[in-house]
Parts: sequence; structure tokens; C-alpha cells
Amino acid sequence: MTRLSAQNLTLAYEDRTVVHDLDLAVPDGKVTVIVGPNACGKSTTLRALGRLLKPKTGAVLLDGTDLTKLPTKRIAQQIGLLPQTPVAPEAITVADLVARGRQPHQHWWQQWSAEDERAVTEAMARTDVSDLADRSVDELSGGQRQRVWIAMALAQETELLLLDEPTTYLDISHQVEVLDLVRQLNKERARTVVIVLHDLNQAARYADHLITMKSGHVVASGPPADIVTADLVHDVFGLDCVVVPDPVTGSPLVVPGAPWHATPTEPADARGAVHGGGLA
Amino acid sequence: MTTDLNARPTGTQGMPPARPVRPAGYAVIRVHRATFLLHRRAAVVAAALSVLLAAVCVAYLSVGESFVAPAEVLKVILGQPSSEELVVGTLRLPRMVVGLLVGAAFGVAGALIQTVARNPLASPDIIGISQGASVLAVATVTFGLASYGTLPYVAVSGGVLAATLVYLFAWRGGLHATRFVLIGIGFALALRALTTLFLTKGDYLVAQQAMIWMTGSLNGLGWDQAAPIGWVLLALIPAIAWAARAQRTVSMDDDTATALGVRLNRVRLGLVALGVILASVATGTAGPVEFVALLAPQVTRRLTRTAQIPLFCSALMGALIVVLADLLARRLLSPVELPVGVLTAAVGAPYLIWLIIRSRTGGKS
Repeated sequence: MTRLSAQNLTLAYEDRTVVHDLDLAVPDGKVTVIVGPNACGKSTTLRALGRLLKPKTGAVLLDGTDLTKLPTKRIAQQIGLLPQTPVAPEAITVADLVARGRQPHQHWWQQWSAEDERAVTEAMARTDVSDLADRSVDELSGGQRQRVWIAMALAQETELLLLDEPTTYLDISHQVEVLDLVRQLNKERARTVVIVLHDLNQAARYADHLITMKSGHVVASGPPADIVTADLVHDVFGLDCVVVPDPVTGSPLVVPGAPWHATPTEPADARGAVHGGGLA
Repeated sequence: MTTDLNARPTGTQGMPPARPVRPAGYAVIRVHRATFLLHRRAAVVAAALSVLLAAVCVAYLSVGESFVAPAEVLKVILGQPSSEELVVGTLRLPRMVVGLLVGAAFGVAGALIQTVARNPLASPDIIGISQGASVLAVATVTFGLASYGTLPYVAVSGGVLAATLVYLFAWRGGLHATRFVLIGIGFALALRALTTLFLTKGDYLVAQQAMIWMTGSLNGLGWDQAAPIGWVLLALIPAIAWAARAQRTVSMDDDTATALGVRLNRVRLGLVALGVILASVATGTAGPVEFVALLAPQVTRRLTRTAQIPLFCSALMGALIVVLADLLARRLLSPVELPVGVLTAAVGAPYLIWLIIRSRTGGKS
């Protein structure tokens, strides 16, 4: 089952086409990760899935209806989206920002219902930012700020959640923390999550469904264990590597294959050996 | 919608019990099923500003060529018979009311335009609205197409026209905040040059009169000028109430706001249009009283410390600035009366410079 899908999607900024004739389906209740090299169109695709970018041709369908035909507020009740670099209003407090996530469920005459309070409280507890409630967002560390933004997206309480590189600017422990949180959400609430990542290993580790993109096209999609091979990595990233099972999770782990200190005479041999010897 | 209130929290398994969170500093007001958020500090600031404004108003009516005791002033305001009826009720009160209305309109207009532009430097007198009003007013007076009486209406159309052009030029598949401000500044400069051209071409006496109007002056204004702007403000109260809530959403980046279900371009157009109408009507009434629209929202925000500029507080602040400035303008070089715009510019210009310096050196982390 898929509530969210794209058909024949062509996406462009002004007259520069970034994504060509793309089809994809987001499996319900799963974590989908879109991965690919810089400028492959992965963030652009995510923006289109969240109706931030209007397709040049083709359509994004939510429950079979073209997104452009749905009122944006109705979409916001179903799809939450966190952009790569969101900007908070100056001097806003954490609780105030998280409460903005309730926007699509509110009206002019209904600015704070019991439901709003529950959703915000829960979202903040879940992302562990409850203690920061009265702090100004400006004065938080990068990791804390990212958790606050995720709390805002969670407070929106949508069944679908789209995250654009949520780990950028975070150190490794915070990256893991954020991705673990996403997995936990998916597990406990059966939320459908789509994440754009540029780290292939993180993608393979956290995805149920992996979509690899290269210059505006989908190269392969499926469970990471089925599709991540040395050939795919070479094809998508142009990188020679060995793919081994992750010692912790068993998911495919990509280890770059050509040692940087190789002497000028060796690389040809080493490269060949690695390519053939991949554990794919 | 109504059943939401009775809905039970769903699926809280695995959640530690948490203390309920509310947006910090807000009180929740319940009226039957409706709920409203009220920023506590903003409410306190509004109350304090109201008291201060009332005091300044009494002072305004007391002080002048002849001093009238505040007790007599109150009598006149309350409609009791008083010997000072003429001085207070006929000469000073109408002019003060115009000042209040013009100030309030500028205060709200500035807040709206700064919010949409996401820039504290943006205000009607910087992005070309005042200049648009001026150029059309001066042009029509110079060429004898409009009398002094129809000037306000001409000025309003000039302001709206200039703002429309700025908006159209700044539009590229959406409104880009920075482009909006920069194009506005460009327009303001061009229109100012054009105004000067008309002034030098026109009759000397007309130019003199136009210059006073262009500085912004309450001199000689009364009930006839207060009525139109008063009606406009009254009629726009529902729109302003909408804007007070709608501006919450445009202060985020475009993607986040859209993701939250905001029809961004429509909301922005609505907010800008409201701001432009208010600024144009105020300019049409008293001329471009400079820097009020820039100053009022920013000072308000520093007092309330809110993420948005509370419109009601900004209106009070605008009214306070104009009435106080006019009080000083009347008395400072007495018996010579300065145009109120000279005073507001004297305070506003240094403040603008301070804002720019502060933003360049990175006042915030």
C-alpha cells in the first residue's frame, strides 16, 4: 500500500531541469531513505513530495489525488515536512516554536485546544526537549535545535513525515540520536517516514526501503540488503568499494576500496581486486 | 472540529508522563468553545502604553499658547461645560485625534510590512509607499489637477500604485523578501528624484505648500481629516484581527510555512495590501510622517519580547510617538511650529543608523 507516490515527475528550477520523468512509491508504515550524490535531485524530489515545488510535468499523488488539487492545509494535516535549513522567527521560545506545528489543526477562533496541548507536550517529551521549553531557540546548540525542529514536525501529528537531511551539521552521536528517534517513531506509531540522506551507510542502516538517485533518475530501489552492491555504489557514486555486513545491524556497509596511500604502480591492481571481490 | 476537545489522547504507550507544555508566556483564554492565546507580557505592555498615551493626551491638550489645567481638559473630554471649550475642544482635540489615528495606522502598517519583508528596516517610508504618495500629490498640485482638499485621495492612490509596482517587480514565482525591500528602496529613490523635479518645475508657492505636506504635518488638520481615516481604521479592524494571527506564520522560512499548510503568497499579499492601505491613508491624511512606521513596531517588539510584533501594541506606540512628537513640535521653538515629521525624523534617523550598525556587527549570535 502506498498513500504517497509520484508519477512521471519532471522537476525544474526556472528552466534548469533537475529531475526527469521520475516514478516512485513510498511504502506505507516504512522508513524510506532517498540517497545519492550531491545535486542528484534527491532534495528536490522530497520538496515535490511535500508540495513545496510544483512539478513541471507529472504529479505527486496523495491517496490517489494530485497534490496540486488539494488545499494546502489539508495536505498539512497528512504530510509533515522538515526542510534542510528551517529558519525560526527571531527570539522565539522552544515551546512556542513546537506549538507552531499545530498550525494546520487550528483556526482563528481555536488557537489552543486540549488536543494541541497534548500533541505539543508529547512531541517535546519524545524528542527530549521538554526541559528547554522556555529557552530561546537562538541560544540552543545545533543538536538541540534540530531536536526542537523535529518536535515541531511531530507536533503536527501527520501520518507521513518527510525529512530533508535531518543530520546535516550534527556530530556523529547526534546524527545517530536523530535517526534512532525516527526509527522509534516509525516502530511505535507506524508512521511513514521519508528521509533524504547523503551518507550511504546511514541510509542502508536505517532504511526499510532505499531509493538511490543519480542525476535526476532513480537508479535502484528496494530493501538495502537487496540493492546495495559494489556495482551500484560504483554506478551511483563513482566510488570503488567493498560492501560488507554491518557488524552491528547486518545491513550492508560500504567501505571505500582504494587506499589513499597506494603507490602509483599499485592502484590498477588493487582496484581490480576490490571490484571483483566485493561481497555483493 | 468540536469533538476534538473531547477526544482522548491516543497511543501514549512508552511515553513518560510529562508536564503539559504551553507556548511560554502565553495565557489561554477560553470563550465557550473558542480558545485564544494571549501573550502576557504584550498585554501588560498594552496596558502600560494605554496609560502613558492617556497621560500624553492630557498633556497635549493642556499645553499650548495658553495653559489649560488638566482638570479643565478632562471636563471638556467628558462633555461637561467648560470655559476652555474653544481652546481644548475646538482647536487642540481634533488635531490630536488626527495624530492618534495617523500614528496608529503607521504603527500597524510598519509592523505588517516588516513582518512580511522579515526585515526591521522595511517600512512604508523606505520601500516607496510614502514616496509614491508624495510624487503623485506634488505632480497633481503642480499641474493644477488637484486642489489641496483632494490631495489626501491623490496621495492614497499614489501610495497604493507605488506599492503595487514594487510588489510586481519583486515577484518571481513568489515573493522574495530581500528582493522586495531592495526594489522598494530603488523605487523610493527614483520617486524622490521625480518629486524634486516636479517641485523645481512648479510654482514657488505651490512648492512651499507641498514641502510642508511632504514633511508630514498635523498643522490645520481637524475633524474633516479625522473622519475619513477614522472610518477606514474602523472598517479594517476585522482585517487587522486576521493579520494579527496570520503574521505568525509568515515569520518562518517559506518551506516551513508552506509545510504547515499556509497559503504563503496569499497571506503575504493580504498582509502587504493591508499595510499599504493603512500607510497610504495615513500619508494622505498628514503627509509622510517619517520613521513612525519604522520606529513603532521595533520599539514595541523590544518591549514585548515576542516573536511577532503585537499589532495592538504597535498601534498604541505609533499613536504615542506621533502625539508626543507633535506636542514637542508645537512647543519646542514656540511660537514657531515645526512640522511633526521633523521631530519624528530627528529621533528616527539615528535609530535607523543604530539598527544598521547593530545588524552589521551581528548583535545576535
